[in-house]
Amino acid sequence: MSDPVSAPPVPGGLNRPFTRRSLLVAAIAGTAAAAAGCTRSSGNAADAVTPAQADQLAAQVQVQETLVAAFDQAFAVDPGLAAAAAPLAAQARTQLDRLRAAAPGTAPSSAAGSTAASSAAAPVDAAGARALLRAQVAAAADSHATACPGFSGGRAALLGSIAAGLRGQDGQLA
Amino acid sequence: MADDGTGASTSGSPTAAEDAALQEALAAAHTAVWGYGVVGAALPAGQREAVAAAELAQRDLRDQLAALLTSRQVDPVPAEGAYALPFPVLSAVDAATLAVTLEAGTANAWTWVLEQATERSTREMGVTALAATELRAVGWRAAAGQTPVTSAFPGLPDA
Repeated sequence: MSDPVSAPPVPGGLNRPFTRRSLLVAAIAGTAAAAAGCTRSSGNAADAVTPAQADQLAAQVQVQETLVAAFDQAFAVDPGLAAAAAPLAAQARTQLDRLRAAAPGTAPSSAAGSTAASSAAAPVDAAGARALLRAQVAAAADSHATACPGFSGGRAALLGSIAAGLRGQDGQLA
Repeated sequence: MADDGTGASTSGSPTAAEDAALQEALAAAHTAVWGYGVVGAALPAGQREAVAAAELAQRDLRDQLAALLTSRQVDPVPAEGAYALPFPVLSAVDAATLAVTLEAGTANAWTWVLEQATERSTREMGVTALAATELRAVGWRAAAGQTPVTSAFPGLPDA
């Protein structure tokens, strides 16, 4: 049988919910382009960011930086966890990259990463490392989920999606 | 109700785009409710607890969406009479893979709601629904033998 994504649209079929995927790609790509200083395709108010929202987005980037640093700290303490949870850490980094792209004026910064790393509590043993990491994943998910409704357009979708992704990670670290 | 006969809001409504996205989410919920019937039928009785919970969650979402749209004088889209399966469901792994597909469709619809929503309350609803669907999807990906079982961007393209 055919692949669900490549199959021709069937009205009312299981393919139907996927018809918006291309539109979402465009929406997020537009957000990233605007963040990079590219020409915005339209005066879409949903993609406009107020100064307060820009500050909030920067805060969410910092939340994610802290989470990425927490993965590194936990992995340093527990090599077993590093092996098992490497895909989760990679996902957290990918999320950080896309958040930075969506946040006006936010660029990768080693200084920011160092600050985030030093602000995270240091785990003391393997059990503590996993528990602390899980708590930080949950805290980041809470933070992004709380921030999400304050945005519109592609940024709201991005924050909501990242929050959901981290909820899934939380369960895997139980 | 809407005056264009399609169940959609009139274009002049401030929530027209949001309502259209909510209709997509409702269509996804209808699809999932139907699809979980197929998933359950393909699993042994002892493995149907998660199916029942997922189907119930999708029914709740469906009812919540229909009520919201009705409150806005918008006709909720009805369920289709039948749906096309994307692949044959002949085993427990097939069933779990179909469940992953159903939850992916749901996640896709809810990220679209988040993208289109103008009402804060709708975005709050969306972020909750999206998290719930990803939690279900994690379990189904594991049952289907997919790795990783988590997704960095549920409902959005990975790249």
